[in-house]
Amino acid sequence: MRGALLIVKKEFMELSKDRKTMFFTFVMPLILYPLIFSMMGKLGQNDEAQRVAKPSRVWLVDPSGLVAPVLGADGKTIQVVPKPEGDVKQAIRDQKLELAVEVDPKAAEKLARHETWTVKAVYDRSDDSSRLALDRVKKAMAAQDKIWVGERLQAIKASADLAVPTKVETEDAGGVGRAIGKALGSFLPYLLMIMMYSGAMQPGIYCTAGEKERGTLLSLLTTSIPRSQIIIGKLLYVFSIGIIVAVINLLSMSFSMSRLIAGEAAHAAQGAAAHPAMADLAALASPAVLGLSFLLIIPLGLFFANFIILGGIQARNTVEAGTALMPGVFVVVFLGVFSMAPGIEKMAFLPYVPVLNVSLAIRKLFSQQANYWEYAVALGMTIGLAALMTWVSTRMLNRESAIFKV
Amino acid sequence: MIQITDIYKSFIVKDKKTRSKMKIEAVKGISLTVKPGEIYGLLGPNGAGKSTTLRMIAGLMQPDAGSIEVCGINSQREPERARATIGYLSTDISIYNRFTPRELLKLFGEFQGVEANVAERRGIHLLERLHMAEFADVKMEGFSGGQKQKVSIARALLHDPKVVIFDEPTTGLDVLTAKTVLDLLKIMKSEGRTVIVSTHVMPMVESTCDRIGIIFEGALHGDASPREVLDRWGVKTLDEVFFQLVADKERGVA
Ligand SMILES: Nc1ncnc2c1ncn2[C@@H]1O[C@H](COP(=O)(O)OP(=O)(O)O)[C@@H](O)[C@H]1O
Ligand SMILES: [Mg+2]
Repeated sequence: MRGALLIVKKEFMELSKDRKTMFFTFVMPLILYPLIFSMMGKLGQNDEAQRVAKPSRVWLVDPSGLVAPVLGADGKTIQVVPKPEGDVKQAIRDQKLELAVEVDPKAAEKLARHETWTVKAVYDRSDDSSRLALDRVKKAMAAQDKIWVGERLQAIKASADLAVPTKVETEDAGGVGRAIGKALGSFLPYLLMIMMYSGAMQPGIYCTAGEKERGTLLSLLTTSIPRSQIIIGKLLYVFSIGIIVAVINLLSMSFSMSRLIAGEAAHAAQGAAAHPAMADLAALASPAVLGLSFLLIIPLGLFFANFIILGGIQARNTVEAGTALMPGVFVVVFLGVFSMAPGIEKMAFLPYVPVLNVSLAIRKLFSQQANYWEYAVALGMTIGLAALMTWVSTRMLNRESAIFKV
Repeated sequence: MIQITDIYKSFIVKDKKTRSKMKIEAVKGISLTVKPGEIYGLLGPNGAGKSTTLRMIAGLMQPDAGSIEVCGINSQREPERARATIGYLSTDISIYNRFTPRELLKLFGEFQGVEANVAERRGIHLLERLHMAEFADVKMEGFSGGQKQKVSIARALLHDPKVVIFDEPTTGLDVLTAKTVLDLLKIMKSEGRTVIVSTHVMPMVESTCDRIGIIFEGALHGDASPREVLDRWGVKTLDEVFFQLVADKERGVA
């Protein structure tokens, strides 16, 4: 083992002399998450806040004059604007106004005769502001309806509850935190895998195909360190890089998340209602969830490292190695996209598919649905797979043809 | 002491065009012995099988048949122990550019299991002998080919090997650097080490080697002092021996 550790030391020494790779591998993720999280938070807040603060522009056709006072009642949420030039639908799509409302011309008579009359609204479903305008109009109309129904009931001396047989009350058992957890949990394993694989790939190629290409590998082979130890040393090195990258990513991610939580808490303390989601969200960044996720990542990292070493040492040069290992990125991306797909946790065979079951298990940990049997299967399977790969790669790389490829 | 008995080595290569497999017989039954305090020169044109032979002695490749003993250690059965007694240098080997000579030698001292202070002392001593001491702490990226080769030599000799195997150590070097290397080989000899060196540059051999073997198409021709070899073929320079070998072959084929 001494030989293997010496190789690890040598590889890290070489890496430490390469500032650029060091930066992209270790420092980038450290900056990335706080940046992403704070940007997302700010953008989301600003956008939402701006939309809510602005009144919706509504073009109203109301010959009866019944609806105009209803919509204009507060003046803050709805602003009645003149008819836009050209096609109304096009104007909505162009965001010149949010909504067009057309009221039944015979509304007044129909109201008097206790008949139903129509308020037709044209909106753009794909636009958040337009949907907000529709909501506002619907709310205003619903409130007015209540008044009119109340008046009618009063006229016949009936109880105001006559028209309201039931009322559905809802409460979110999952909480916002859990919803966020589910969302995070579905892309976190994917992000970790991508980061781990791509982070370890460059150093992995450098210390295998790169050493062949630069002609330095042979000098290692002339020493009295056994070949198998050299290979295990390189494997350990690539594995450590993957793990370090994963740890940095996890830490940076949870740090940014707790910053977001703290920020929200401060926001709540200043006034406004406290966000009930924050306690749930804090539980997500809990040491147990992160620890268990990390435990799963370890054998997965070993599996990736084996794959990289195998591809790297079989190649004659770095270009060939890159070509051999690039499809690995696509596979990881594919696995990631698959693991993000909604509803896959319901597939019964999934917990028994290697690698995919790792992302499933992490996903469940994050959405607080952990299934210990599935977790154990994923862990055991990945460990077995990694061990098998290690055995294969040490055997294959002991072959002369892998070292003296011409 | 190096003792090689009837070794063979062939490679299977794929022809890119015809996609058929070809067998290259690189070494065809070579036997030779090199004693301590002796410099043995392995001569031959490109592709003759010199590097393959030296790699097998160094335990980097396994022969298909035959046996190799280095300092009484069978290099097939115990390659690690055999390698510990060997200092191997080849044109195929490059240096770790990102390090300084001192860093590199420290690292290889550890690889070879040499005590840190011993490795440091020997490393500096070797660099001095090779006129490289002043560059001990300079990053090797900017080094010339000759400077890199000298650091490689120090790397190969750091663990005080009893057997020295140099594969074309002077190829690509200027005359001054080449002389430094040849002088060092003579010092190795005077220290009682077993030295085997390959080259395709003939004059160098005449002044340095005690015995020479000429490899041509994987087989060894003549195994004697340079003088004896010249006499046997009845020629004035070793180059002429090659011309004769080629001529013999063409006559045989015709
Ligand atoms: N790893 C290898 N794979 C395939 N062929 C090889 C390999 N190494 C050497 N050869 C072939 O074996 C022959 C002898 O090569 P080599 O020993 O390098 O010759 P020399 O060192 O005398 O120039 C050449 O034809 C070469 O192409
Ligand atoms: Mg050669």
